[in-house]
Amino acid sequence: MAGATQSQLVEQETSGTDAVAAAAVGVSAILFVLSILALFERITLTDPIAGLPTVTLLGGLLVVLGGTVMGFGVGSRLGYVETDPSTSAGLIASFAAAVPWFVVGGGVASETLGLGAAGGLVAGLLTGGLAFVATALPREDLGSTVPIGALPVLTGLVFLTGTIGPGWIWNLGWEQPASFTAEFVVPTVTLFNALFAGWAAAKAYGGFGARGRHMGAYTLVYLNALSIVAFLFILVAFVVVQGIPGVLTGVQVGAGVGPESTIFGLTFSWPISVPFVMNGVALLNDYQGVLPAIVGTFWLVVGAVLFAVPLGVGAAIFLTEYAERGRFTQIVEIATNGLWSTPSIVFGLFGFAFLVPRFGNQKSLLAGMLTLGFMLLPLVVITSREAMIAVPDEYRDASAALGVSRWQTIRSVVLPAALPGVVTGVILGVGRIAGETAPILLTMAGGTFVPGGQTVDVVGGFQFTATPPFVANPELLQATSALPYQLFALITAGVGLGQNVADPDGFRWATALVLLIVVLSFYAIGIGTRYYFRRQLRHE
Amino acid sequence: MSETTQTQTQTADDTDQPLTTVSGETEEQTQQEWVEYDFQGEAKLVSEDLDVYYGDDHAIKSVSMEIPEKSVTALIGPSGCGKSTYLRCLNRMNDRIKAARIEGSVKLDGQEIYQDGVNLVELRKRVGMVFQSPNPFPKSIRDNIAYGPRKHGDIDTGLLARLLGRDDTDEEEALVERALKQAALWEEVHDRLDDNALGLSGGQQQRLCIARCLSVDPEVILMDEPASALDPIATSKIEDLIHELAKEYTVVIVTHNMQQAARISDQTAVFLTGGELVEYDDTDKIFENPESQRVEDYISGKFG
Repeated sequence: MAGATQSQLVEQETSGTDAVAAAAVGVSAILFVLSILALFERITLTDPIAGLPTVTLLGGLLVVLGGTVMGFGVGSRLGYVETDPSTSAGLIASFAAAVPWFVVGGGVASETLGLGAAGGLVAGLLTGGLAFVATALPREDLGSTVPIGALPVLTGLVFLTGTIGPGWIWNLGWEQPASFTAEFVVPTVTLFNALFAGWAAAKAYGGFGARGRHMGAYTLVYLNALSIVAFLFILVAFVVVQGIPGVLTGVQVGAGVGPESTIFGLTFSWPISVPFVMNGVALLNDYQGVLPAIVGTFWLVVGAVLFAVPLGVGAAIFLTEYAERGRFTQIVEIATNGLWSTPSIVFGLFGFAFLVPRFGNQKSLLAGMLTLGFMLLPLVVITSREAMIAVPDEYRDASAALGVSRWQTIRSVVLPAALPGVVTGVILGVGRIAGETAPILLTMAGGTFVPGGQTVDVVGGFQFTATPPFVANPELLQATSALPYQLFALITAGVGLGQNVADPDGFRWATALVLLIVVLSFYAIGIGTRYYFRRQLRHE
Repeated sequence: MSETTQTQTQTADDTDQPLTTVSGETEEQTQQEWVEYDFQGEAKLVSEDLDVYYGDDHAIKSVSMEIPEKSVTALIGPSGCGKSTYLRCLNRMNDRIKAARIEGSVKLDGQEIYQDGVNLVELRKRVGMVFQSPNPFPKSIRDNIAYGPRKHGDIDTGLLARLLGRDDTDEEEALVERALKQAALWEEVHDRLDDNALGLSGGQQQRLCIARCLSVDPEVILMDEPASALDPIATSKIEDLIHELAKEYTVVIVTHNMQQAARISDQTAVFLTGGELVEYDDTDKIFENPESQRVEDYISGKFG
């Protein structure tokens, strides 16, 4: 065979042809990023980039990318490029080429040529089958480049000729008004083309064969990871950008501008004033805020953790260290897993029907804490159990051989070794319960715009009474608000509070941002705790 | 099966009295003659008719032997012959395995350890154990050594004790130093007692485990292949240490390595497949002139 040179032990230095393939991978990465940005409307199709209309730019890059990939394959087959291809591109590549060509063929036949669903199906099967054969039959360098490389060339030409332009719209003609717009179709199609062509280009860069497939898979996995990180980043950036103006309204820095606080009898004024997080809602306020909901969320999470962690860790200790493994532990395991997947509204109903009537027959902070505590409980049990099972039995043996009792072994050896795992579980659980809306709606409530007077003061609320149980805390038995519920109420309320909250949209985004910050703060505390316990276990 | 007879009576060499056998059991009983071994000095541990079952598996078959005090007794034999199981019977570590069932008797200084009312804490303080792979706790070197005495309440360095001015920090210092010196580790770690024990090398970790075992002042030290996970240099350090320890302690060591048994032990017991004790005598005698053909085959590497 012409191109099948013997494999070399020492790789040649990067040649010009390698650089071409690497450039193709680079172009597909650029297209990938551009299409993600366009999908999230960070760039628009109508605005030009570098003097070129965006659609034209995307189309041009796609044609260049596809052409390069195909050219590389043909060049390799004709022996101009030194590669090490297998005899066939393989089944996976064949299906990967067949699926997009089935979509293209079917779509063109049924919509553009008007042949209907049956005609589209036949045409799609024909083009898909053709692509399958074209990939599977020839040697790998042709098979894995030409059918897939032709795809971006075709798409690019469609963009360049203006067949699909910024104003393009495809009405699906369903009963409900549904249509695909260019804003959605162009980035999505570009994204898939970039993935396919990037994959083929990476295989070409690796010189096909085993090494080429490794490069292809590596590129795909890398792009996947990249897209997940990009998605998270865009999500957080979106909330921050939208929420910052609302949070920073009326911020003042300077001595004595902030609210007064009294700690240990010492009264002082904060040197900074952020009304959104330091005020409630009141008629006379210059700026309105969500302080009651922040404090409510904080106490809600603290209460739920204080309730669930001791119970959950205790149950896990019993299950791993004392109970004999058997039917009983299996049932408990299945039950805890089931509880963890129970919808939160069910927990909310339980709190509403069972806890609320027992706490003064009104929605209260305490009922909310306990409901969320019950939600958190199964996860704490599951993760603590896993963490304790992972503690090596050698530690238990060593301790027993010293004559140390089982409980002391658990306390001094097993628990410290399991703590990082327990903390991980609590972090995950807190992330979930801090954002819960449904159980709070049913057990704790609050309002859309909560006055500052409703800020709970749990610590200051404790009172001693002359009758049992000798301690009372009316603050715990009051309805209060929490951030996710307030956000929900703000969105369903739809309108602002007259002059006071003139920009309800900004108020909502700011609330969402504060919720995000509160949850991430709990997360940071958890990570810090886990780091501390891990250090204790390893090198101090 | 030359060593196994059908006799129902067994005789102990020190009493010459017939012992009552554990009879009336439905399981097949393999009766063995008392494997005779005369030695100087007192017997520290005596097992009589010890049987161990894991479920239906008869792991130890009626083993009777006497272990002399302040000496090194090696238990050798092929894999799965029950020597480790036998060792773990001597401080009742097999109690921790749910499926294990133990019949017969083990006496420590003449006191039965398999009877109601035995204080396991006290037993395991007197009969310590070192395991095959080094298993220090993920704590500092000091905490590892002081763990046992602290948990037994022998020394108290807790916050409350310190507040009340009754803490035993000095005693703890002395104890840690004593144990580490006995285990020949003091020179290497005395300037980093607060470092994590997992940062030590494998050989150092194993000597730390020996020091941890010594911290509670045991009388007997059981060692389950203590050097099998170590390199030759670390192994020779452990062997030197065992020699030293035998001056004050009764050491029982299980090993796979016959050269090791020959180097360090005063007497050797050979277990063969099926959980029988086949021969028990002075180490020199076992390795130079064993009575049984099977033992000779095993020692010369013909099987096992």
